[in-house]
Amino acid sequence: MSASQEYFEEKEKIDFLFYRGFRVTRVTENLDGAAVEFERTGAAGQEKEVLHLQTADARKYFSSILFHQQRNLTPAE
Amino acid sequence: MADLRINLAGIESPNPYWLASAPPTNSGYQVQRAFEAGWGGAVWKTLGEPIINTTARFAAVGFNGKKVAGFNNIELITDRPLEVNLKEIYETKKRFPNHAIIASLMVEPNREKWHEIVKRVEDVGVDGLELNFGCPHGMAERGMGAASGQQPDLVEAQTMWVKEAAKTPVIVKLTPNITDITVTARAAVQGGADAISMINTINSLAGVDIDTWNTIPHVAGKGAHGGYCGPAVKPIALNMVAECARNPHINVPISGIGGISAWRDAVEFMLMGAGGVQVCTAAMHHGFSIVEDMIDGLSNYLDEKGISSVQEIIGKSVERYSDWGNLDLNYRIVARINNDVCINCNKCHIACEDTSHQCIDMLTDPNGQKYLEVREDDCVGCNLCSIVCPEDGAIDMIELPQEQPPMTWNERQAVLAGYKDNEREAAK
Ligand SMILES: Cc1cc2nc3c(=O)[nH]c(=O)nc-3n(C[C@H](O)[C@H](O)[C@H](O)COP(=O)(O)O)c2cc1C
Ligand code: SF4
Ligand code: SF4
Repeated sequence: MSASQEYFEEKEKIDFLFYRGFRVTRVTENLDGAAVEFERTGAAGQEKEVLHLQTADARKYFSSILFHQQRNLTPAE
Repeated sequence: MADLRINLAGIESPNPYWLASAPPTNSGYQVQRAFEAGWGGAVWKTLGEPIINTTARFAAVGFNGKKVAGFNNIELITDRPLEVNLKEIYETKKRFPNHAIIASLMVEPNREKWHEIVKRVEDVGVDGLELNFGCPHGMAERGMGAASGQQPDLVEAQTMWVKEAAKTPVIVKLTPNITDITVTARAAVQGGADAISMINTINSLAGVDIDTWNTIPHVAGKGAHGGYCGPAVKPIALNMVAECARNPHINVPISGIGGISAWRDAVEFMLMGAGGVQVCTAAMHHGFSIVEDMIDGLSNYLDEKGISSVQEIIGKSVERYSDWGNLDLNYRIVARINNDVCINCNKCHIACEDTSHQCIDMLTDPNGQKYLEVREDDCVGCNLCSIVCPEDGAIDMIELPQEQPPMTWNERQAVLAGYKDNEREAAK
């Protein structure tokens, strides 16, 4: 599988979790990439998912989203 | 025509091109001929207690048909008595009052010795002083040059001693043979330097003769490390100038030296913060007349850009030089091959396939013609294919629209820190 294909697959998983209302609660970066923990509170109570992201582009992608979410929440100075 | 005059820490010269302290500035005869040819200033061959040189002294490192990609020397400072040099400096200054003459100096790290030489050279009317804390060979074995230039406390103390006696601007010439040149640059500023210059030569051994097993060059079968300069060292020098220029604690003018052989090099050094440049190897390779092209080229460049004085370009690229952590991770470029220019040499394909990201596909068009195409999704924009491509215009590096707004590594790490509480707790 090409590098871009690997990325698209990981990106799709990230997008799908965000789409379903999950938010990132914890990130653990290690030698194998990043373990990103997602949580949401739904009808079934607290739900948790963990993505083990390996590609550089996916690790960049999810952190970009967090960065810009945070930036948009920060009131302009 | 643009104004090429510069004023570096109070030293004025008709253009930014000075000859660096080295064989081209060994005597009044040479410096006067250089000024006639068009050089704006000259840093006289380093003065101090006259030395004894060896033969041979120089070696060149060629590359790909270029005879002097790098230049290596084991020459020391002047071998002529101070009195003789001073007389020639006086005569040269009298003939060329508007050109800059800077006396390069090197004595032992001793206050009285510095005071004595400063007084004697200033008496003949030099426009400034340059302290040679950079010669990496021979003199360093005697505790001078790079040996004292590698110790920040000695750089500071010696600069201070010179400043106690000097009436003209003092430039401290730094050695590149150190891990972080901003440390010694700061020491020079602390000592009161009016300007700094860099780089002197880099420790080197030009080569080994594989037939005789002698070093290159050798002196009766023995060699010693020399100093490396010329085009090969330009990127190292340019980075050192830029690092000093962007350091808020180093707020003195910089004279840029190292591998400058054409007007474009001079422009690059000035954009990166140099207030003027010095040249040695290129003058040794091609003679004094190269300055004509350097003046014309610079002048045309400024006119084309509508810039009236060369001093306006000083430091204009400095704010664009930063730390890796401040670069935008979401910026994307990819390679694109122009098949109408490509000569199908396959070099880019081999480079990408063997040593980059295997994303240049070899395809066949309906007429059976082979052509290459970049799979842009897999291209990491490393530039390698365009570097190895022999045809101008066959590969363009294209900017893609950003999928995500800018984010630097430092910004990323700052935001992720908020999601890593468990790691922080574990580290406690
Ligand atoms: C043969 C030779 C002798 C040199 N002698 C001196 C010297 O006496 N004093 C000094 O400060 N630098 C000396 N240098 C260093 C040059 O001034 C300059 O810093 C260095 O060569 C880098 O510039 P370039 O790449 O234009 O040659 C010498 C260089 C060469 C090649
Ligand atoms: S820029 Fe790098 S990754 Fe992209 S095609 Fe060229 S060599 Fe391959
Ligand atoms: S290196 Fe340049 S000329 Fe050669 S095949 Fe690639 S694009 Fe064409």
